[in-house]
Amino acid sequence: MIKLSQVSKQYPNGHLALNKVSFDIPSGEMAFVLGHSGAGKSTLFKLITRMEKPTAGQIIVHDQNLSRMRSSKVPYLRREIGVIFQDHKLLLDRTVFDNVALPLIVIGMPNDEIRKRVRAALGKVGLSGYEKNLPLTLSGGEQQRVGIARAVINRPSILLADEPTGNLDDELSDEIIDIFADFNQVGVTVLIATHDLRQVNRLGSRTIRLEKGEIVQTEATE
Amino acid sequence: MLTYLSRHLQVIFSTLGAMQRTPMASINTVLIIGIALLLPVCLYVTIKSGQALSDNWQGRPQISIFLRADTSASEAALIFNEIRLHPSVQLAELVTPQQALAEFRALSGLDYELKFLDDNPLPHSIVVMPDAGHARSEHLLELQAQLSKIEGIETIRLDLEWTDRFNAILKAAAKLSLVLSALLAVALILIIGNTIKLLIFNRRHEIEITKLVGGTDSFVRRPFLYYGCFYGILGALVSLLLLSGTAHLLQQPMAELAALYQRSQLLYRLGIEEIAIIVLSGAFIGWSAARWSVARHLRQIQPR
Ligand SMILES: Nc1ncnc2c1ncn2[C@@H]1O[C@H](COP(=O)(O)OP(=O)(O)OP(=O)(O)O)[C@@H](O)[C@H]1O
Ligand SMILES: [Mg+2]
Repeated sequence: MIKLSQVSKQYPNGHLALNKVSFDIPSGEMAFVLGHSGAGKSTLFKLITRMEKPTAGQIIVHDQNLSRMRSSKVPYLRREIGVIFQDHKLLLDRTVFDNVALPLIVIGMPNDEIRKRVRAALGKVGLSGYEKNLPLTLSGGEQQRVGIARAVINRPSILLADEPTGNLDDELSDEIIDIFADFNQVGVTVLIATHDLRQVNRLGSRTIRLEKGEIVQTEATE
Repeated sequence: MLTYLSRHLQVIFSTLGAMQRTPMASINTVLIIGIALLLPVCLYVTIKSGQALSDNWQGRPQISIFLRADTSASEAALIFNEIRLHPSVQLAELVTPQQALAEFRALSGLDYELKFLDDNPLPHSIVVMPDAGHARSEHLLELQAQLSKIEGIETIRLDLEWTDRFNAILKAAAKLSLVLSALLAVALILIIGNTIKLLIFNRRHEIEITKLVGGTDSFVRRPFLYYGCFYGILGALVSLLLLSGTAHLLQQPMAELAALYQRSQLLYRLGIEEIAIIVLSGAFIGWSAARWSVARHLRQIQPR
């Protein structure tokens, strides 16, 4: 499903964020990406969603080689991948409803279907009744959950979560990670970048450990 | 299909909403477009008015026929009768040498000098007005040829030069206004394109996120194309408003002028098709500007 071979990413300023990273996450698997700040976790996700291009190596997502993917095809790749961003990336002048609905609006889904789905997704992340709120009137954790609702709304086959529990207390973290686990149960491939070892231990999923852009250990802790 | 339509409507409304949120920039742009469009529209109306006027002159041209100097009054009367009965002649008037001299005196002011003429050198002449159906230049030339066969006629003068010259001026003005319109269209595309560019960069964040969740380029582009169209349409409407304001200002002097030419209406009135064409041109110019701007700037905005 997501396969990296010898992937390196050097930013234009010369910083080598990833160095010869290889791993293969089969369809339907759930894995954690661990690593200190600056280890390259976000960079990894940017490569998978083609926000950045690798300077070396191959990335294959959904049997598609991203290096050879035409830029006109990139939107369709992104529709298959739900991403929870570390910095939320919400539209601050739009309501929660509009934010969550965006992935459905871009594919031209009918309005009543959108309303139904948004309500369901907000219910799932515990934000029922917040449709009309603006993101800045929400707490950090609530904003994070708006981002999660947006990521899952289009029922993507891959979920990438960059520090999804960074702002949440233990109880809420568990709930959120359980949501991801639920999606994983129905066949969604899930990749979570986190510092939260508690979750790794709780779920016992596979981990990919990055250190200064290199993989130091990948293991299936089962 | 319905979804597609409602989607477009939604984008249209949100575009209008966004225009409302930045009213000053929108109003400025629309005004600039309106004023810039006013010039070619004014030129067009002027040319059309001129053409109507010239058509009108062509409807009442004069043919002056001068008889030979040795023609007697009775001979002149015979010739006059023949001409008067010609099927394409509506009105004919016989001018005797005495009348002609009196008129010449009055017009020239050479009263004193003319006193020394013991003989009236002026011939009989006949002024002919052809009927409306034979008013075009080719008909007039034909009529001239027919009349010249009549015995006793010295020369026939057609008053075509004046209208021909006027028409030539109109043609040149039409060409000039075409060139001007093309240049103004280019200027407008630059102006609207720049406004769209500002809009694009104002909405940079939104564009990035839309691209991140799988929005295609054409989806991201759409509202900006609508912006361009709206600006163009509103600008065209403003120019039409300005035009009718200008016409209103000109009403009094034009009415006086119209009375001189015995016409009720001198200024050309735009028809519904012409108004539609002006509005559509506005839309097209706006759309092209947006297309151009979007092609240049949207690619630069990629999610980071
Ligand atoms: N656009 C960029 N240009 C240059 N260097 C960058 C850029 N983005 C990231 N980096 C560098 O690449 C390294 C990896 O960054 P990345 O954001 O992937 O880390 P991370 O593992 O997500 O860290 P964190 O846990 O703090 O989010 C960092 O040292 C960072 O400074
Ligand atoms: Mg990060």
